[in-house]
Amino acid sequence: MIFKCKNCGGNAVYSPEKKMMVCPYCESENSYARKDKETTYGLEVCPECGGTIPVEQYDSAMKCPYCDNSVIFNERVEGEYLPKFVIPFELGKEKVKGMIRDRFKKYTFAPSDFLSEARLDSMKGIYVPFWFYDYQTNAVYEGEGTKVRSWTSGSYRYTETSYYSVVRDMNIPFEKLPADASIKMNDSIMDLMEPYDYSKLKDFTPEYLSGFNAEYYNMPAEEVENRAKLKMEGDASAILRNSISGYNTLIKKNENVRILSRSTAYGLMPVWQYIYQYKNQDYPFYVNGETGKIIGTAPLSKGKVWAYTLTLWGLLTVIFVAVKGILGLM
Amino acid sequence: MDYDFKKEERKRYFKYFSVWMIIAAIAVLIFGVMKLTHKEEVVTANERNNSQAPSQRVYDFAEVLTSSEEQKLEELIAKYEVQSECDLVLVTIDQAVGVSDSEWTNTMVNLADDFYDQNAFGYDQPHGDGAVLVDNWYHAGQSDSQAGAWLSTSGKLEYAIGPSEENAVWDALDAGLDISAYEAYARAIKKIAHYGKTDGASEPIQIPWAVVLIVPTIIAAIYAGANMKQAPGKDTTTPMTYVPGGKANMNAQRDDFIRKSVSKVKIETSSSSRSGGGGSYGHHTSSGGFSHGGGGHRR
Repeated sequence: MIFKCKNCGGNAVYSPEKKMMVCPYCESENSYARKDKETTYGLEVCPECGGTIPVEQYDSAMKCPYCDNSVIFNERVEGEYLPKFVIPFELGKEKVKGMIRDRFKKYTFAPSDFLSEARLDSMKGIYVPFWFYDYQTNAVYEGEGTKVRSWTSGSYRYTETSYYSVVRDMNIPFEKLPADASIKMNDSIMDLMEPYDYSKLKDFTPEYLSGFNAEYYNMPAEEVENRAKLKMEGDASAILRNSISGYNTLIKKNENVRILSRSTAYGLMPVWQYIYQYKNQDYPFYVNGETGKIIGTAPLSKGKVWAYTLTLWGLLTVIFVAVKGILGLM
Repeated sequence: MDYDFKKEERKRYFKYFSVWMIIAAIAVLIFGVMKLTHKEEVVTANERNNSQAPSQRVYDFAEVLTSSEEQKLEELIAKYEVQSECDLVLVTIDQAVGVSDSEWTNTMVNLADDFYDQNAFGYDQPHGDGAVLVDNWYHAGQSDSQAGAWLSTSGKLEYAIGPSEENAVWDALDAGLDISAYEAYARAIKKIAHYGKTDGASEPIQIPWAVVLIVPTIIAAIYAGANMKQAPGKDTTTPMTYVPGGKANMNAQRDDFIRKSVSKVKIETSSSSRSGGGGSYGHHTSSGGFSHGGGGHRR
């Protein structure tokens, strides 16, 4: 499907700034009609121009390279692939470019064109498929804590150690623990994108995808659940530990986190992706399309680091030699 | 709007190092000015003016030096004497001088002072500028050791060498005395001569070349290392991020006292003041009626 402007026939896209469908050509707002392709045959046929779109296995939305319309593949956003919810892009491309510039402006060792307009403009907005896990848990901690008191009397120092049996039994609910279901996306990078602000969650409609790239989940919920579970267990353990205070030492004897009930949901999260190529290597940057959190390592111009290091070394050596000379003459 | 990268880079580079460049420039400037205005102290060597004192300087009664080492020390001392305009005498002995610190000190003082006085040492005149280092090897290294050194200073050295200078001499002497007495004596005498030369003025601070070359290298290496890697981003979730409302239900919370144990330790009152003979002895007049300074140091 594509979304067409009712006034000019242009491709209406979702605008993060205006939070509605906008026609970039005639600036009409919320005036659009959905156009589906006429046959059900062939996923990759553009409903507008009939061109063959180079769709990859998990793509659910992308631009037609021929007519530049933003095409959403019905089969991949419906039925079993219908996301339960979506966080629409809150930050538009220009805003994110500015954020990346601000963040890395002071970064001395990036290659010169790292923040160039031409490079930054290649940035893509992607809806990344995530599985969300809800857990109702029971977490129990048992341990031994000590409190130590000491005082002096006469010529003796007394140390009193009191031992306590420490028990915590909590019911901890976890909601929407995310784990990305995209093979392309690096797991640890996606983990660092968290947290998302779930107050901006919306029921899914395909309009949100117009103008962006999207994938549907690459694997079923069970396959990535381990990541969510590990996160949950770590969090539960930390919550238990944080509820204990006032001891000098604490020795864990037993800790157990049980899942009482679980449920999963499929949703799409907004991510800006900027891939910078430097010396035949990709440097991916990801920006949380909702919160603006930037994750990524700026490419390092080794030559620049060496140049700066050598300069520093040279200057320090000159200073040291001069100081040695000065002191020697005093 | 795109940047002019080359220009931007250059600007950034100079801005980055501006402070360092200014410091370096100032340091070089100061050094240059000092170098130009600094006049080498003109050393007009005064002739030795003492015909009474013997020409021998090394008296190895304890026989810790070989005759060739004695010879070398004599030559070394002759050189230092001209530079420092002081008589520099080394005496090694191996004799009981007293067990208690006060006895030890008294005997060593008198031995050193008398040796200097009786031989009428002194560069500028008999009983003049100079010093005698008396090193006693009696039972060195044993529990009843009376070993140790005494430095008796006279004339200008009496005032040039104070307690801190003495310590520098002992440091020079002790380092490796057990390995090579010759080397240790050579170092100690060099130190003493040095104080004579500068008339006690503070020694110019010499930063070793190794430091000058290695320290900037280490700093630069750390700098390069620190800048070669960077973290992609920080984890900004908390354990409560996915707990709605941050609310967990506490079913049971117990902190039950089980038992206690008390231990007691006697408090050690530290009373370890290091005892040792020697120390700086200060200015005094020897039995011969001459003024001496100096100090000693047992080992």
